[in-house]
Amino acid sequence: MTAKSFLAAWNEFFFAEQSPIPIALFRVIYGVMVVATLLLLRPDWAEWYGPHAWVSLPTMQGIEPGPRLNLFTVMPESYFWVQALFWVFLVSAACLTLGLLTRANSVVVYLCLASMQQRNLFILHGGDTFLRVAGFFLIFAPAGAAFSADRLIRIWRGKEGVEIRPRRPWAQRMIQFELALVYFVGFCWKVAGAPWVEGSALSYIYHLDELQRFPMPSWLLNPTILKLATWFTLVLEFALGVLIWIKEIRYYLLATGLFFHLCLEYSLNVPMFQWDVLSAYVLFIDARDLERVWNRIRDRVGGYFGERVTVIYDGSSERPRRLANLLGAIDIFGRLSLADLKDSGVQLGVRATEARDKTVVGTNFGPRQGLDAVRTVASAVPLLWPVYAVLRIQKLFKPATSTKAR
Amino acid sequence: MSRRGKETRPGKRASGEKELARAQFFGLRKWQYIAINAFLIFHTLAICCWCMPFGSPFIAACREALRPYFVWSGLFQSWDMFSPLPKSANAYMEALVLYKDGSTTIWGFPRMEQLTLTEKYSKERYRKFMESVLDEKNATLWPDVARHVARLPEIRGGNPQKVLLVARWSNVVRQEDGTFARGPWDEHVFYRYDVKPEDLQ
Repeated sequence: MTAKSFLAAWNEFFFAEQSPIPIALFRVIYGVMVVATLLLLRPDWAEWYGPHAWVSLPTMQGIEPGPRLNLFTVMPESYFWVQALFWVFLVSAACLTLGLLTRANSVVVYLCLASMQQRNLFILHGGDTFLRVAGFFLIFAPAGAAFSADRLIRIWRGKEGVEIRPRRPWAQRMIQFELALVYFVGFCWKVAGAPWVEGSALSYIYHLDELQRFPMPSWLLNPTILKLATWFTLVLEFALGVLIWIKEIRYYLLATGLFFHLCLEYSLNVPMFQWDVLSAYVLFIDARDLERVWNRIRDRVGGYFGERVTVIYDGSSERPRRLANLLGAIDIFGRLSLADLKDSGVQLGVRATEARDKTVVGTNFGPRQGLDAVRTVASAVPLLWPVYAVLRIQKLFKPATSTKAR
Repeated sequence: MSRRGKETRPGKRASGEKELARAQFFGLRKWQYIAINAFLIFHTLAICCWCMPFGSPFIAACREALRPYFVWSGLFQSWDMFSPLPKSANAYMEALVLYKDGSTTIWGFPRMEQLTLTEKYSKERYRKFMESVLDEKNATLWPDVARHVARLPEIRGGNPQKVLLVARWSNVVRQEDGTFARGPWDEHVFYRYDVKPEDLQ
């Protein structure tokens, strides 16, 4: 390989634009993982991070001296502030999941996550470390480019169309690199240990009572099977660390990795670790394949939601066009049929004058406008069902209120 | 007209050159492209250096040089799950509390094997913490742990005088036929702490 071809490959790998769908999907799953971690920690939050925690802040600083990104060292050591940090962290993680102020929230989540982990390093597992390191690179990624409230806002403001614009994937590549490294370094450590090489490692692990979750079939605990499983772990960790970059075998490896982690999730009690690691698998899936799978799901599931609703908008006006784009982005199940007024044969009984500068919803009972149109659309689009519920409740209370007023 | 044309042409040429330069750098400005590449090269090499289990003096020197940045930024990481030697003993710890009136009580940490599935999910941190506390390398944690036990609501009221941290363990042993079994339980007190009045404040 010449220097020129290496540079070309480097640029192609890190800078050639690609769909941001995988990184956006990772952001959603990552956010859910962080929220789940926080909720699981909630009952013992003060026990681990409070002013009278199991490990005091001065002890922690004594064991691991030096400056660290740790909010606990700069905020007052009181229950109020420790609880406040929890809620700020939780709200920020929820916003990151929804893609609201994505970049800012990815910074806040990383800062809180790093602080929480730096405050007590003795309760962390590999999954926590992975979330922290992936969170660092997520800050630089175009994570809000799809499936995000930010994108909807951009569409509404007319800064973006329905099409998702491709982005440079260098930050995504770093998270992929981290995931591959988890496996490869794990493999390197394991081959340095005699129990892994001779095949007895899993026999030890499956005799640790504290790690057992659900009962295993007795034949699986046979020493020969456990020996084979130990070696299989080594082979798989090497493959997921090194061979994952080969496109032709990637999906087979991901499927095997998924099966491997689900088996560990069933048999070993290391909460969240498997899910934290699996969350990054989505980054290795081609955006086109993700779209293909989603289209299949949409076609299957979409039918259960009833008739599609036609929305007629005046494409020559700015506001109705933006609204149509917004609805197109929200309508992930393809429940709406968006039709520009200027296209012939789409009016469905709607007169051109009726829909000029407006958005009209065509139904079997004639065209709907205003709140009725919103209600019809909200009932058809699953992501808008909360809006529909609010409108229904409002409608239920409306007669009572008006009677009272009279 | 001609003067205006002369004025605009160089501007157009400049913007065209800029666009060309941007296209060369994947839509980035040159300095952005260089900065991102420096970031990528540094982090890729640094992370490899930090977590690869290689014992060369050069790697050790690199790790030492990287330490301040990795520790500060939170990029420190290790991926030695169950390796190189997996844990080979069932172990847990308890706290034996001696009160001023001469009575005693045993306070137990949550043990995973005694918890329900949902409790296992939320209390798993205790398993990891116990594992850390039982490691002699982390002896600096012991006073904090003993103090925290003395401060627990159910202990504090009884006026605790001493807290003894007790380790109990049973080795997983390989038998002659190649199968594995749990050995007999053993125990020892690994830390004694005299409770001070200010600990209970």
